[in-house]
Amino acid sequence: MTTPAHERLEVSHAIARIHAGVMALVCAILGGSGLFIMTLWLVIKGGVHVGAHLQLLSWYFWGYRVTWLGAFVGLFWGALAGGIVGWVIGAVYNLVVWMRQR
Amino acid sequence: MAHTLIIGAGPAGLTAAYELSKLGERSTVIEAGDQVGGLSRTVMYRGYRFDIGGHRFFSKVRLINELWREILGEEFLVRPRLSRIHYRNHYFNYPLKPLNALAGLGAVEALLVGLSYTKAKCFPHQAETNFEQWVSNRFGYRLYEIFFKTYTEKVWGIPCKEISADWASQRIKSLSLSEALRSALFKANHSASGEIITTLIDQFHYPKYGPGMMWERCAELVSRSGNEIVSQARVERIRHRHGRIECVYARTPAGQLIEFGAEHLISTMPVRDLINALDPLPPDDVVRAANALRYRDYLTVVLMVKRAAVFPDNWIYIHSPEVKLGRIQNYKNWSPSMVPDPSRTSLGLEYFLWDQDEEWSWPQERLVELGIRDCARIGLIDHSEVEDGTIVRMEKAYPVYDRVYQDHLATVRQYLLGITNLQLIGRNGQHRYNNQDHSMLTGVYAARNIAGAQYDIWSVNVEQAYHEEGPAKEVTWGERAVPTALRPEPPEAQMSPEKLVEAAFARLDPVALGASFGFVAGLLLFLATAILLVQGGVMVGKTLSLLSYYFWGYSVTWRGALRGCMQAGIGGFALGYVVGTLRNWGVGAYAVLLKRRAEAEASRDLLDKL
Repeated sequence: MTTPAHERLEVSHAIARIHAGVMALVCAILGGSGLFIMTLWLVIKGGVHVGAHLQLLSWYFWGYRVTWLGAFVGLFWGALAGGIVGWVIGAVYNLVVWMRQR
Repeated sequence: MAHTLIIGAGPAGLTAAYELSKLGERSTVIEAGDQVGGLSRTVMYRGYRFDIGGHRFFSKVRLINELWREILGEEFLVRPRLSRIHYRNHYFNYPLKPLNALAGLGAVEALLVGLSYTKAKCFPHQAETNFEQWVSNRFGYRLYEIFFKTYTEKVWGIPCKEISADWASQRIKSLSLSEALRSALFKANHSASGEIITTLIDQFHYPKYGPGMMWERCAELVSRSGNEIVSQARVERIRHRHGRIECVYARTPAGQLIEFGAEHLISTMPVRDLINALDPLPPDDVVRAANALRYRDYLTVVLMVKRAAVFPDNWIYIHSPEVKLGRIQNYKNWSPSMVPDPSRTSLGLEYFLWDQDEEWSWPQERLVELGIRDCARIGLIDHSEVEDGTIVRMEKAYPVYDRVYQDHLATVRQYLLGITNLQLIGRNGQHRYNNQDHSMLTGVYAARNIAGAQYDIWSVNVEQAYHEEGPAKEVTWGERAVPTALRPEPPEAQMSPEKLVEAAFARLDPVALGASFGFVAGLLLFLATAILLVQGGVMVGKTLSLLSYYFWGYSVTWRGALRGCMQAGIGGFALGYVVGTLRNWGVGAYAVLLKRRAEAEASRDLLDKL
C-alpha cells in the first residue's frame, strides 16, 4: 500500500522558484501599508510623546515623522525597503536553488 | 477493398462494423441470436421492453459519447437516478448517505462500523490480493460485510476471498496523487450531449426505448452502407492455415452450414468458444487454458404488475441473504416508454447463476413463481398483483476474474498472437469486464487497425490515460471541418494540467529559503547598525543596542555589527528552514486530502460497478 508519506513525495519532486518581482511587490505592499497604518494608529491615538520609538525610524528613513504627513513618507520608505527585501529574498532563494541543483 | 468478418452483433461487433463502413471498408456480421445488441439489447414481450442489466449511457471517452449521439441523435432521455440497498428489512440509499445509513443500521452498529473503518485506516491489509482485502481497506471490514460481501457473492457465485483484487481496481481506477489532483482541480465529465455534468451518480442518459434502440439503429446504418448482418448463425468452426484465418463456418437453426470467407476476422465470441472452434485445434495447453476460463450466467424474471408505481427506484440491490435474488430493475423508471400502459409496472428480477445451477434449467412457470415469492418475502408486491411473467436467460454474461484467469488468458493470447488477421474485442471476446463504452472502443480500434492504424486493443479499460488522451489526438471521423476563430490563450491555459499541478504543488527548498532569510536578516542588521555608526552622535544606537539581549556580544559598533550580522543570519536561516518545511508539509497534506476525496468520490458507486 502507498503511505501518505510516499504519496506526498509524488508531488514533491518539483522545486518551486520564487518570482522575485512578485515577492518584491508583495513585500512592498506589506512594508508600505504596515508602516503607514502603524504611524496613523499612533497619530490618531495621540498622547504626550506620540510614537517616541517609531520615530527612531527617521534614522533610516529620511523625512519620516509620526505625523499625518510622516505616515505618507513612511508609506514610501516602507514600500521601498519592503520591495528591496522581497526582491533579495526571491533572488537569493533562486540562486541557492540553482546552485544546489547544478 | 478488404472484407472483414465480425463474429457477434453486440456493441463491440456492431461498432466495429459501423466504424469500418465509415472508413469505406466492407464487413459481414454473424450473430448467433435473432436480435442485435448482445448484452445491451432490449427484449420485447407483449409491448413491454426489458433492458438486460440496466445500461446507463455515460462514458469518459469523448469519442464514444460522440458515437452515441451520432447514431441515435436526440433520442436520449436524461433520467434521475435513485437506487437503494435492501438489507435486513431496511432500505439504504445508494450511494450511501450518512444519516440514512445511521438510521438503518442503528447507533450501536454505526459505532462498530466507525471503529472498523478506523481500524482499516490504521492497520490496513498490506497486500491487497483479493476483493475482500481491497474493499475492507477502503471501507472497513464491517461496512464491507454489510454492503458488499453478500451482493458480490450473489453476483459472482464465489467467495470474495477468491475474487482477484485486480477486478476491483479495474472497476475503480486507483488514482495516483497527481491524477487525483488533476481530477480535483481541472476535470469535469462530459455527457453524451457535450454538456458538463458533475457526476453520473444523480442522473444518466438513456435511450427512450432502452439500449437496444441504439443497436437496432446501428445495425440499420451498417446494412444501409451495403454490409450484411446475418442473424441466427452460430459459429461452429474457424479454419486457419499458416497464421491466418481462412474462413468461418456457421450453422443456421435449419441445420444449414454456411461458409464465410474473410481477409480479416474480428471476434466478440467468448474466448473459450473461439479456441474450441479453431480448426485445427490449438495445442493442448492452450485448449486447457481456454476451457478453464469461467463465465457467470444471468437470468431475469420479468413480472408485469397491476400497479402504476411499485417503488421509486430505478433499481434496488438485494443484499438480504434469505433470497437468491440479486437486483430488481424497475424498467418504467428508466424510461416511461418501456411499458405499454402507464397503469402497469414491469419489474426485472435478476438472478446470477452458473449454467450448472438447477435454477438455470427450471421451466419458466417455476422461475416466475420463485420471483413472485422472493418479491413477496421482501415486501415489495403481493402475489395477486402479478398479471403476467416471463424470463430472459443470458449465457456468459460476466467473464469471471478468479485467481487463475490471468495466467490462462495469457496462454490463450500468446497463442492467438500467431494468427495475424484476427482481433479479439468486446467483453467476452477479451474475457474482460468491459462496460458498453469500453467494448465499443475496442470495436473502433479494431476497425481502424484494419485501415492501417496500430492501436493496442488490450490497453482499453486498463490504462485510463489511453482513453482520455488517445481519442483526443485523433481526427474525428465523419465530421466536417468548421473554421474557428483564433483566440489568444493565457499562458496558464497553454500549460498542461500536469504542469499546472506540478507548479501549484511544487516544494519550496527549505535550505534555500533559510539561506535567503538568513542573508536578508544578517544584512539588515548590519546595515541598521552601520547607518547609525556613520551618522554618529552622542548616544549612538541606544535603542538598537537592546538587541544584545538576543544576540550575544552585539553592540552598535563595527565589531558588534559583524557579530549581529552573523547571529541574525543564523536566526534567519532557522526561521526560513522551518517556514519552508511547514509550508511543504501543509501543501503535501492538502494534496493527500484532495486525493482521498477524489478516491472516495470514485468509489461512491462501487456497487454499480460490480
